Amino acid sequence: MQVFNAFFKVLRSKLGIVLIYMIVFVALVVVMTFTDTASGMFEQERLSICVFDEDCTPESAALREFIGKRNDLRELENDNDTIIDALYYGRVDYVLTIGKGYSAKLAAGDTDGLFESKRMHDSYSTVYMGQTLNEYASTVSAYIAAGNDISAAVSKAGDAMLKDAEVTTISFDNSSGGALSLRSSFFFRFLVYVLISLTMSTLCPVLLAMNRKDVRYRTDCSGIRPNSYTLQLFAGSIIYIFLTWIVLMAVGVFMNGGMFEGMQLIAVLNSFIFMVFSALLTILLSSFSPSINVINIITQVISIGMCFTCGVFVEQSFLGESVLAAARFMPAYWYMRVNRMLDGSETYDGSLITQALLIETAFVIAVGAVTILIRRIKLSDTSALIAGRVRA
Amino acid sequence: MKNTVVKIDNLVKRYGELVALDHFSLEISEGEIFGLLGPNGSGKTTTINCLLSLLSFDKGNIEIFGKKMAPTSYDIKKDIGVIMQNVAVFDELTVYENIDYFCGLYISDKELRKQYVDEAVSFVGLEDFLKFRPKKLSGGLLRRLNIACGIAHKPKLIILDEPTVAVDPQSRNRILEGIEELNRNGATVIYTSHYMEEVEQICTRIAIMDKGRKIAEGTKDELKSMIRNTETVNIELIGLTDDIKAKIAELPHVYSTEYDGTKLTVCCSGGKHNLIRILGVLQENDLGFGRVYSELPTLNDVFLEITGKALRDDADSAKKAAPHEKANKKENFR
Repeated sequence: MQVFNAFFKVLRSKLGIVLIYMIVFVALVVVMTFTDTASGMFEQERLSICVFDEDCTPESAALREFIGKRNDLRELENDNDTIIDALYYGRVDYVLTIGKGYSAKLAAGDTDGLFESKRMHDSYSTVYMGQTLNEYASTVSAYIAAGNDISAAVSKAGDAMLKDAEVTTISFDNSSGGALSLRSSFFFRFLVYVLISLTMSTLCPVLLAMNRKDVRYRTDCSGIRPNSYTLQLFAGSIIYIFLTWIVLMAVGVFMNGGMFEGMQLIAVLNSFIFMVFSALLTILLSSFSPSINVINIITQVISIGMCFTCGVFVEQSFLGESVLAAARFMPAYWYMRVNRMLDGSETYDGSLITQALLIETAFVIAVGAVTILIRRIKLSDTSALIAGRVRA
Repeated sequence: MKNTVVKIDNLVKRYGELVALDHFSLEISEGEIFGLLGPNGSGKTTTINCLLSLLSFDKGNIEIFGKKMAPTSYDIKKDIGVIMQNVAVFDELTVYENIDYFCGLYISDKELRKQYVDEAVSFVGLEDFLKFRPKKLSGGLLRRLNIACGIAHKPKLIILDEPTVAVDPQSRNRILEGIEELNRNGATVIYTSHYMEEVEQICTRIAIMDKGRKIAEGTKDELKSMIRNTETVNIELIGLTDDIKAKIAELPHVYSTEYDGTKLTVCCSGGKHNLIRILGVLQENDLGFGRVYSELPTLNDVFLEITGKALRDDADSAKKAAPHEKANKKENFR
């Protein structure tokens, strides 16, 4: 068991990376859970506005009423110091003075110098308020030009401008009754990234260290059989990956607030299959003996690329058809389909879940077969060695 | 009569058209420190790889400890220790863990292993660095760790492939003393090096290889007696004319004269009074001289005379060696 023990001793040097991934993962899930719970609805921002009406006509009153529907009207003493204090201390955001002759000017189609305004700084909201007032005056003017009298024009302009744009917010909440809680849903979603990144960035360097040219040469000179060496490395890899998965599942149980049960176990099975896929992909990658820099690049490309295109970082419903069509050739897509059906983002379909799990398993078998093939090609050197001996 | 530890018989190894080993034969007896010398690309490493069954060969036979060596001869491999030119240790493990790992590939008993590892640590003097990782060690300490990893399991046959490359004189001396101590403790040693003075210092018998063939074998004195040169006379002088140089060249036993303007070098083969005769010629011609010294042939002279003075790492050699290196890489590592 010397190779097996050495595997874990070498792995020990990668423990820091494991911990970083775990902490970042848990933090990400917690932050995303709280962020999403707080962002359930859309509401237009309301400003605190003080209106001084020096015109005192029905039209100026209509403007005041229009402003009050979208904002909070505040009363202030019409004194310059008081206004500046109120703006400075944020008691009001905007102070509007409707000038004398407002109604007459508007009726004559003159929209210049209708109002005066005071504001503390050009925030987005106050600039938007100024634009709204200009738009209101232009609309009234347009209705008058179209042949309406001023009272009808003011009324129509007010109605037209108060029409709300329809805003739809998309929530990841499982209000539609999925098997996974919001937090568990996020947990299993980001698990894809963690499993593949963690496996590739820790297991691959260890396998490379164990198979480093000079070290392997010295090992081959010893009495250990090549099959035993490979078997011990394989056993070490499997146990490490399995332990990592167990720890991650324990984190999942903690986040779930209890043991996974019922339909939630499908998510556990889903993650198990993906874990095996990640492990085999890592073993396959290490078979090519790349440098550490190359491993880092490949890890980033595969993990981030797969997560972006398969709906881990961006909801599948936001992704284009062409992206999703390409994503179907990656196991993470099917993993996410299962997850989405379990958290209620998609309609639950038992047969589709089975199909997705089988496709994932097919990916596992395919990568496993390629890995064995590559390993056999590598081992053919040994066969040639023995064949050479027989010939001799 | 001592037992034969290594017997290589008529070994042939080809890399395509390049013949790396050309009917190479060798016998090494128990308790020897056997030096394997040869210029770059002469076949030393190929011989060692074949010996360790890490490389197949086309013809011939190898026996170690009286048994035929094969890739599956794990019982034989258990008694062999290998120390390569490159430091082959794990950067991720400490000094102790590295020695323990490589020792553990041969010794499964924990108690015995611990004892062996402690002895190896003490042998190479790494007691103060047990918890250091290799990257924290100096070049000399790394070499010592490399040696400890190769000898911790107390092998009967130790193969050292240029173990002192890029090592300072103090560390080199320590390593050489260690090899002699291992030999005194009963290990048979095969030692390859480019440093002739090292080989001359520690090896009891030497084989010189070139172009895959063994071109000379014997003790230091036997090898020295094989070459033409028996004495090199050096005389510091100014104003040597071609006439006087020609007179010296015509003296009995003189076969080569070289003059660079300040020093005359005369190579002699045999004869007892070469120096007196040469100085006589100088006196006859009223020519003064400074320092005079005579040198007996060294292993370096033997090596250069036998293998020639032409560079081996020139473009042609590199071209020829390329397929050999490539094939070596492919075949060596499983």
